[in-house]
Amino acid sequence: MIKNRAKSVTAGTEDGAKKSRKIPETAPLIAVLVLMMMYFSIASEYFFQVENFRNILANAAVTGIVCIPSTFLIIAGHIDLSVGSAAAVSGMMLAQVVNSQGVALGMLAVLAFGLVFGCFNGFLVTVVGVNSLITTLGGLGFLYGVALLIGNGQTVGMNDFEWLGTAQPLKIPLPIIIFAVIALLGAITLRYTKFGRSIYAIGSNPNAARVVGIRSNRIIFQTFILSAVASALAGAVLTSQLSAGSPNSGLGLELQVVTAIVLGGASLAGGRGSILGTVLGLLIVGILNNGLILMDVPTFWQRIAQGLMLILAVSFDSIRAKLNSTRS
Amino acid sequence: MSNTTELIRLEGIKKSYNSVEVLHGVDLSVNAGEVIALLGENGAGKSTLVKVLAGDIPPTEGVIKVNGAEFSRLDVFQARELGIRMIFQELNDAPALTVAENIFLGQWPTSGGKIAWKELKAKAKEVLDRLEVDIPLDAEAGSLRVGERQLLEIARALIQNAKILVLDEPSAALSNIEVERLFKVMDQLKAQGVGMVYITHRLDEVNRVADRVQVLRDGNSVLNEVAQEVSREELVTAMLGHATAQNVRPVVSKGDTRALVVNNLSDGQVFNDISFDVHQGEVLCLFGKIGSGTSEILESIFGLRPLKSGEISMYGEKFTPKSPQDSTSKKVGYLPADRQRLGSFAIRSVAQNLAVSSWDRMAKFGFVKSADEEKAYGTWQEALSISSRRGPSQEISTLSGGNQQKVLLGRWFEAKVNVLLLVEPTRGVDVGARRDIYEIIRKQAKESNMAVLVATSDYEEVVLLADRALVISRGAISAEFTDDLVQASKLIEASS
Repeated sequence: MIKNRAKSVTAGTEDGAKKSRKIPETAPLIAVLVLMMMYFSIASEYFFQVENFRNILANAAVTGIVCIPSTFLIIAGHIDLSVGSAAAVSGMMLAQVVNSQGVALGMLAVLAFGLVFGCFNGFLVTVVGVNSLITTLGGLGFLYGVALLIGNGQTVGMNDFEWLGTAQPLKIPLPIIIFAVIALLGAITLRYTKFGRSIYAIGSNPNAARVVGIRSNRIIFQTFILSAVASALAGAVLTSQLSAGSPNSGLGLELQVVTAIVLGGASLAGGRGSILGTVLGLLIVGILNNGLILMDVPTFWQRIAQGLMLILAVSFDSIRAKLNSTRS
Repeated sequence: MSNTTELIRLEGIKKSYNSVEVLHGVDLSVNAGEVIALLGENGAGKSTLVKVLAGDIPPTEGVIKVNGAEFSRLDVFQARELGIRMIFQELNDAPALTVAENIFLGQWPTSGGKIAWKELKAKAKEVLDRLEVDIPLDAEAGSLRVGERQLLEIARALIQNAKILVLDEPSAALSNIEVERLFKVMDQLKAQGVGMVYITHRLDEVNRVADRVQVLRDGNSVLNEVAQEVSREELVTAMLGHATAQNVRPVVSKGDTRALVVNNLSDGQVFNDISFDVHQGEVLCLFGKIGSGTSEILESIFGLRPLKSGEISMYGEKFTPKSPQDSTSKKVGYLPADRQRLGSFAIRSVAQNLAVSSWDRMAKFGFVKSADEEKAYGTWQEALSISSRRGPSQEISTLSGGNQQKVLLGRWFEAKVNVLLLVEPTRGVDVGARRDIYEIIRKQAKESNMAVLVATSDYEEVVLLADRALVISRGAISAEFTDDLVQASKLIEASS
């Protein structure tokens, strides 16, 4: 056994020594997920059905599209709270432009908006040097106003563009496919590319990242663009699902996004997190919402549950950090 | 030292963590007005021993005798009651509060619910006078030098009625003047009957400050003598467990090409009109006290601080420092003095910490293979004899200071830099690892024709590391020594 150990050290493989010491970050998430599913299966006869799961996933997909670049940001030690309002604005824009100019121009306008708004956030954070929490909290506020302005406070109906949100190639809703592709690309980027490694490095020590020559500002800037474009896309999908742009459609999106990511093991101090974790966190949030709806819990309580969930997730993060530090 | 009252005695202290014994029965006694220098390499058990003394951790076996009473352990409150105070290397002050407020941190005298400012200031002044130091009471602690802030910590301990002070490597971050000032304060405290345990890595301090010296090695006390009667060699032998070579000057060698030429460099604040060159394969040390400008010169060359005037060229081509990113892309590497803040990615693996500056080279279409990182780590782990028990995926923060520093050096070796800038390369590194590091730096410089520029305030480092040395004093070059003229006495003389 001693020989084995010595060998593994010299060969330098990722051996079991580390795994056995640390609590795997995804294990408790999977446990919670399974427990929740068991509970809701017993509590509601409608829960454990293919159609319901398709429903859960389709709803989670919209939030999920935003979650992927947001995970990047949180790992890098930043945050984007403006995602909900950005999605609302893009939804309103889509409805207006599609009605007057057609689908192609509508999508173009939405993506252009994402790009511009991402640059705006990126500029404030990396060039001007404003804290990202404050920058995007401001964005959350003023874009909500813009969303109200576009439709004069009203919901705007949209004609002939349901397929983005409702098409089901191979019986799988399109939003789920879009989300799956983005999540996969995100996971690969984070794990295997220089860009992804740099994000972890920046999050774990921004000062050192500068000294070793990582182009931190450029990477943060690009990630804010990704986040805004993803929010715009999510807004478009949502609007297409509803066949209408509503200024309130993105309300609370940032809460769901941050909850899912933190549940997934990302640390708000930066440097930790993964796409797999975020996806699991997202499913937990999605299943909770769905289960509560099926059990006829009033929507007010759903809000309360969501907020508490975030607090629970952050507390769990702290507890896990303490456990790991005492064990190693 | 007429006073020989024993303040505390630890006998046969053993301590185990998870059935691994790290202290094997160590004695330690502190008399009033006595300074004990506690030496030992990292991991020898110094911290564990003083933690037992301060009541932070209970010993597994052993007795603690205080004033005739025997305890099997002290708890934190008993230790405080007895006046045992620790002064840590890291500062524990509130930078935004004033000196006077910091001295009373958390225990401000009040009258009727309000802070009694007059009393606070009067007492703060009294304690600073007692230490014979002159620090303005209304200055913000954050505006003081590191050495002064450490004195504040001592002042705080005194306010709390300290009788035994444990100073954990306080001199590591101090310039020579500040260290001398600290020693004067310690002399003062000694005269007032305070007993002190002084942990240090600097052997030259032992004679200056300590009455008795105790050396720990692998959890045993291997030497306990009157400080004046022990030679430096005996101390080194006791710490390392075997006789080591003397401070032998390395064989000087350098290439013909001038890798880095610096002309009339000024930043308008700290340094002025600095000119020198570094050849390929040469190690040039800039020696000076902290604050003399040595580290600032390196920061400016790397692009971390603005320059006002002067010219730099590398391999005959003009080089204008813009930013660290720009410098690293031009094959300049930089090892900061502050490893935690600027050097290591604490929660990332050793392999990634080492490979981070080589990602550009390793990347194919933006993708970096973990296998390449691990291979790079394997190469340097062997060359630098880094001991990481759990392989390349081990988090760097779990390594000892010396091993962390080796990883960060490997980072720039792997990046194949032409010019390597090192600021205080062995700060917080134990004696054994220091020698390794000097050897590695010199070997790499020669083998890969790298020009190495070092900023340091440790003359021993200059003697062991440099092909050539420049002494910097108040931001200007005051002397140059080559070959065998690089001697501690000459360096100190030229720098003061």
